[in-house]
Amino acid sequence: MPLVIGPDEWRHIEAAMIQRAELLEAVVTDIHGEQSLIRDSGLPAAAITGSQSFWRQMIGVPPPGGYHLRFIAVDLGRGPDGAWRVLADHCTTPAGAGYALENRIALSRATGDLYAERNVMRLASFFAAFRDGLAGSATRSAPRIGLLTPGRYNQSYAEQAHLARYLGFPLVEGADLDVRDDKLFVRTIEGLKRIDVLWRRLDTRFLDPLAFDVSSQIGTPGLFDAYLAGNLVVANAPGAGVMESPVLAAFMPALARRVLDTELLIPNIATWWCGQTRERATVLKRLDEMVIEPAFNGVRPVGLPDGAILGQSLSEPAREALMAGLAVRPEDYVGREVVRLSTTPSFNGQRLEPRPFTMRVFLARDGAGAWQVMPGGFARLSNSGDVRAALMGEGAFSADVCVISDAPVEPTTLLGDPANTPVRRQSGVLPSRAADSLFWLGRYVERGKNTSRVIRAALGGSVVADSTVRTRSAEQLLADLLVSWGAGSTAREDAKGKKMPVYALCEAALDGRDEPGSLWAIATGVRGIAQGIRDRLSPDLWRMIDDLYKPARDDEKGALIGRTLRLMDRFTALGGLAAEYMVRGPGWRFHDLGRRVERSIATSRMVRTFATNNATADHLSTLLDLADNQVTYRARYQTGLARDAVRDLVALDPLNPRSLSFQMEIILGHVSALPVLRDDGMPEEPLELARRVSAMITTVQAADLDPDFLLGFEARIMQLSDAVGRRYFLQGSVVAPAKSATQLA
Amino acid sequence: MIYDVSHKTTISYDGIVRLAQFNIRMRPADWPDQQVLSQDMSITPGAATFSREGAYLAPLTRARMDAPLSELVISKRFRVKVERKAPEPSPGDPTVDQVRDAALAVQRIDALAPANYLYPSPRAPLDAGIIAWCASDLVGGAGIVAAGLALARRIQKVFDYDPKATDADTPASEAFAAKAGVCQDFAHIMIIGLRGAGLPAAYVSGYLRTIPPAGKPRLVGADATHAWVMIWCGEALGWVGFDPTNGCTVGPDHILTAVGRDYADVSPIDGVLLGRTLQKLKVAVDVIPVEAA
Repeated sequence: MPLVIGPDEWRHIEAAMIQRAELLEAVVTDIHGEQSLIRDSGLPAAAITGSQSFWRQMIGVPPPGGYHLRFIAVDLGRGPDGAWRVLADHCTTPAGAGYALENRIALSRATGDLYAERNVMRLASFFAAFRDGLAGSATRSAPRIGLLTPGRYNQSYAEQAHLARYLGFPLVEGADLDVRDDKLFVRTIEGLKRIDVLWRRLDTRFLDPLAFDVSSQIGTPGLFDAYLAGNLVVANAPGAGVMESPVLAAFMPALARRVLDTELLIPNIATWWCGQTRERATVLKRLDEMVIEPAFNGVRPVGLPDGAILGQSLSEPAREALMAGLAVRPEDYVGREVVRLSTTPSFNGQRLEPRPFTMRVFLARDGAGAWQVMPGGFARLSNSGDVRAALMGEGAFSADVCVISDAPVEPTTLLGDPANTPVRRQSGVLPSRAADSLFWLGRYVERGKNTSRVIRAALGGSVVADSTVRTRSAEQLLADLLVSWGAGSTAREDAKGKKMPVYALCEAALDGRDEPGSLWAIATGVRGIAQGIRDRLSPDLWRMIDDLYKPARDDEKGALIGRTLRLMDRFTALGGLAAEYMVRGPGWRFHDLGRRVERSIATSRMVRTFATNNATADHLSTLLDLADNQVTYRARYQTGLARDAVRDLVALDPLNPRSLSFQMEIILGHVSALPVLRDDGMPEEPLELARRVSAMITTVQAADLDPDFLLGFEARIMQLSDAVGRRYFLQGSVVAPAKSATQLA
Repeated sequence: MIYDVSHKTTISYDGIVRLAQFNIRMRPADWPDQQVLSQDMSITPGAATFSREGAYLAPLTRARMDAPLSELVISKRFRVKVERKAPEPSPGDPTVDQVRDAALAVQRIDALAPANYLYPSPRAPLDAGIIAWCASDLVGGAGIVAAGLALARRIQKVFDYDPKATDADTPASEAFAAKAGVCQDFAHIMIIGLRGAGLPAAYVSGYLRTIPPAGKPRLVGADATHAWVMIWCGEALGWVGFDPTNGCTVGPDHILTAVGRDYADVSPIDGVLLGRTLQKLKVAVDVIPVEAA
């Protein structure tokens, strides 16, 4: 159920939030500049320095682009009397705007045109304004804006990927970036490309190991120097997080009067900082009516071992610990008034019931530097019935916040003004990390397909009319092949060293958790790689990847062939979807290059295993099964199976999409089309290698395709793969902290 | 007292490292009772360098080496005049309670403002065990200098000086549990105890003139970088140094280089590089008295 807010109430919230944003900017500017508010006691020094987001190196550094704050969020609660209160400010890396978008999209799909009929205000124009604001903050006229993410292990990574895709910003990690001559660049397949603006979701501590925390391995050395030189806009500025401390609520009303000469339109929860003598006395006197909280985020005071607590619910020992803590470090504590929250209806699966809620509102600066409020946001609903604002933790549910307008709402989407959008056919440069991931995504999907084919053949599930019954020996070779790919090695022999049945080996090759090449491991690898480039994958592709591997259901135990076939189909469909629908840009080239490299290695190994100089007819037939060439062979040759005829069809026929010749022609095409940095017209290493391997295949005859030749071919292909990696990917650019270089006495 | 200080650090890697970038904090900061007369630094192989103020009182030199590198030598020399008398407790000193209240009332956030040194910092978290252990010397009515000296002396007495017990990255809580460590560990433990009692405490890195045993010659290169603690003792006394390694207040034998919240703010050399490799470290420090001041 969305939380619906009417036009009058929203106008009030909007004005209050803009007022608040202006105040926050003014105060954070003063802290890092003149410090007149501190000198004149409007803002105590110790109410600032306790923040984990206070960085002294930011003092005296004017933010490039002119503002510390460009995108903030404010948490609000509504009391039972209908009056709103500010619960918290988020000035560093506010999360949730992406959730708000997703909530809205989910609801729009569910309710159809209801939103438009009810004049619900749309979110797209807000994001367009924010994008204009970031673009306008840069010194160059066509700036490149990156969304800096901590990486795919961060809990809100999915939201970041969604926002990057929605806003059209490349999603970058610290290792993707490099600083040269105090300018920030992203590593791309076309070399270094300048980045002018970063919308960061990475905490200041990790931004630059040389400037903040030297142990950070996810930052970019020198990023702070680019910022100091004025060559990089960071939104929000490092140090802005100092405004998030709960203690600041105690000073906001007075700061509003002093800085803006006005009262706050929506007040904070009344707050008293125990670092001040009179306020501490008030808290002690009215302890039972207050919530006692840490004054600073992320710091748990000694007297509050379990975090915020209601004064009246303190046990005797807890009260004693609090009093002892307050006596020596009063600056660590605030007392806050207890505010009850009003409720909103929520559907619990059976019926609507009231739930207390808090609402997060987002603000961004537009192209003119003015604040815009996102019309809507998201609400967090509490699980329990009676909740006091200050104690509400992470709600289990989130709901869309819809703002209703007086007038019909014109549809806007991020597509922009259709008349003024220049047509483009390039989607910007490809970052090296994305190229790397796409390449390996291609390799892994192809590997899953090949491995499942071999498992199916080993299980004897290939259905071809006149295919002979498998001899033990072909079966054994299939097992060898799987084991050499890291699938099934743990099920080769039992504890006594006795050979286990092929069936057990196949089961391990399918589901084995300790097998680096099992289908489970490959599917997990595919998912991991894809997660790192979610901003570049279509939702349909991601859904298929997410569904790739399923453990056996109870009724499927023993149904190995069926499960293998289903996995093979999924890997094949995934490869097909990517091949069919990816735009033919450099990203697709790297992805397809990965597939081709993997396939040529697999085909070579299959030929090397089954079409040896003394191969039997059964071996050759198995090879035709694996290569899916049975039918073609039978049509082409009326006689029985001849070694060189099979070799030629599987490995050398340029019309056979499994063959080495086919792969090499495409690989050469891709590598020739990749960007070059040399300006002397000479080929770079990958192209040179690709030409050599290609020549190897064009000139060989079927009779010479012995294991030695094929081993040589595989080694060259792997060299080519490494050369592509060295030239276009990020290899070795992850910084390590230099070990401590001090001896202390 | 005038000293010639030389501090030579040789870092050798067992492989090649690339794009090494270092923060070097070896230029002595300006300080009221000491004066740097001359200084120079050399880095081999050559490096692109620039200097700027640090976040706290730790002047910073950044060195960037673009060429691959297997050994690095950083040589720092300076001549400094120290005119400091070791302070002694006096009945007129403010009490612990008075200092705590005064620190909260100072309305500044400059590099040496007490407000910066009240709160936990990365290497000095508010460890409840350490705070409780230190608290008995930091009672509210005690004179601040007497209380600081008592704590420094107790740390010196109880803890074993043992360079093998810890290294530069050992957390204070581990050194505290082992009751052993070196100057850095003792300084962090004392800082945690002081901040736990609400007192502003800073970490100081510098050098100590060592006095050879009677009859023995001074060994060249035997000295090392040293670390100690300063307490902000009210506006009148300002920052006063305490050395928990030696159980004394800080006088003319201590040469101050940098002041920060903990080791991380003043670490003489830290940085980043590309390449995974082991490093061997050789440090030679000499503190040679030139003449009595």
